[in-house]
Amino acid sequence: MVGLSEGEKRFIRGGIAQDLRTDGRQRLHYRPISVETGVIPQANGSARVRLGATDVIVSIKAELGKPHPLQPDKGKVAIFIDCSPTAAPMFEGRGGEELSTELSFALQRCLLGGRSGAGAGIDLSSLVIVEGKVCWDLYIDGLVVSSDGNLLDALAAAIKVALSNTGIPKVTVNLGASPNDQPDVDVSDEEFLQFDTSGVPVVVTLTKVSRHYIVDATSEEESQMSSAVSISVNRHGHICGLTKRGGAGLDPSVILDMISVAKHVGEQLMSLLDSEIAAAEASAEDQ
Amino acid sequence: MTTMLRELRLSLNQTQRVRLQSALQRLQDMASLASAVTVVADTIPVNHEDSILKGHGTSDLNGEVVATLCGVVERVNKLVYVRAQRARYKPEVGDIIVGRVIEIAPKRWRLEINFSQDAVLMLSSMNLPDGIQRRRTAVDELNMRSIFEENDVICAEVRGFQHDGSLHLQARSQKYGKLERGMLLTVPAYLVKRRKQHFHHLENYGVDLILGCNGFIWVGEHVNSNGENDMMVDQENREGLVNKSEVGQATYEVQEQITPLEIRKHVCRVANSVRLLCALGFSLTVEVIVDTVEASISSNTDIKDILAAEFYVQTAEREVQRRVSLTRRKG
Repeated sequence: MVGLSEGEKRFIRGGIAQDLRTDGRQRLHYRPISVETGVIPQANGSARVRLGATDVIVSIKAELGKPHPLQPDKGKVAIFIDCSPTAAPMFEGRGGEELSTELSFALQRCLLGGRSGAGAGIDLSSLVIVEGKVCWDLYIDGLVVSSDGNLLDALAAAIKVALSNTGIPKVTVNLGASPNDQPDVDVSDEEFLQFDTSGVPVVVTLTKVSRHYIVDATSEEESQMSSAVSISVNRHGHICGLTKRGGAGLDPSVILDMISVAKHVGEQLMSLLDSEIAAAEASAEDQ
Repeated sequence: MTTMLRELRLSLNQTQRVRLQSALQRLQDMASLASAVTVVADTIPVNHEDSILKGHGTSDLNGEVVATLCGVVERVNKLVYVRAQRARYKPEVGDIIVGRVIEIAPKRWRLEINFSQDAVLMLSSMNLPDGIQRRRTAVDELNMRSIFEENDVICAEVRGFQHDGSLHLQARSQKYGKLERGMLLTVPAYLVKRRKQHFHHLENYGVDLILGCNGFIWVGEHVNSNGENDMMVDQENREGLVNKSEVGQATYEVQEQITPLEIRKHVCRVANSVRLLCALGFSLTVEVIVDTVEASISSNTDIKDILAAEFYVQTAEREVQRRVSLTRRKG
């Protein structure tokens, strides 16, 4: 990982204690975020999000599938994250696997809700075409191109942007003669339906370094963390998911404090992302 | 030009984009006037009557010498070669560099210095903390970690190359040594030009700035290089050999002094100015850095907003002004 000398570590920790981090940010400031949409033409929706030197790409592919027998009225969503070996030497070979699964799980927990699909940020029932027979399967694939800390927030933001960029082909269904037949589905090449992304949450990771916690930690700051709590907040300011990384325990009151901070920061991040999405789509139309 | 804008990853509004584009365009025009650069596949004019030696970055194509790199053509007697515009750091003897210790080997430290291989700092080519010139003993060798540990950032001077091509450093002065209370920035090495002075004490700000020729830049709180502060630590270190546990405590206390907020603000401001200039691809000299810092203070720019769109544009425009006035003075 990042090797830092004692002096540098002390400088970073001191800066966090004095509310002035090494790049001049305060504890609750994000790095400048930049958003690009439609970066992968073959995908139904894609986005690239950069947070400082952290760089992630998310693509969304919609395929026709069969709903789960236990939830016939819901589509399926799967999230996979891959850490590219170009991001860090330690991701080479199987090195990135552990982090990839950790990130995928955290995102599933934060975005997809419970096992039954209830409370998911993505409206799963809008993915159904014929109840019990045909639905859309969304494959959300994330790629970490360059890693400088705070991957989870960047990936969640990229997923949110990619979903708002996603167009799902319009389908016309010819129901078979008997109800047991698999219906004929005709997928349109021209008409696409936009996706309702208003419920998709953003993830705010609060990294605890000594006594204070910070948002959007760089990898140097992450190397100094004792634990990190990732909180996903939706548009209404509701908490959708919560994951904790790092070994050190936290006092419950600190967690409550973090949640209220995350809610506040999440609202700002949400409106920032909204304006970035609008700007990115405007510039994509210009070209 | 558009690629440059994309690399900056900035969210500019329309006027800012136009301003930045025109500023960068003017800079490019000025640069192309100033120096004769070759790009890949340019023919390098040579006198074929003289025998020439084709060096690095050149190739023979249909009897003509063509460049295989973008850069400046250099000629040394018969040799013709291209000095690449953007290349990995290539050390020269006497360069002042900043590096990070990655390994402690018998009688030497191995340092990462952004070169194609690691540099070596021998125990014998540095001043001992007690300042006495003497033979290095086995005890000194055992106590190497009390001088530099793994991951420590140190500055040193390039002493020379060994026969096997490995690079040797030396740190035979008080000004060299361990760097603490600050941060290390990494920039492309070609942005740092070799100059007389690489150690800078920005007195107005109480900040030390070391522009390592290898593109490692140290920004930190000012420490007296030969003042009492170091002596104190040195004495403690010396006692440390005698009574380790007690002195460990003392050095710890000395080091635990926290950088005052006022100075930390200056450190961050200088560091962000370096980051900004590096992103814009301007040469990093102390004058330009101080100029940027002063401009950010006088325009009341917040420290983190130094890296925001508006100040990028202002800095690019200021650089145009600076170069225009320079060429005027010359002309």
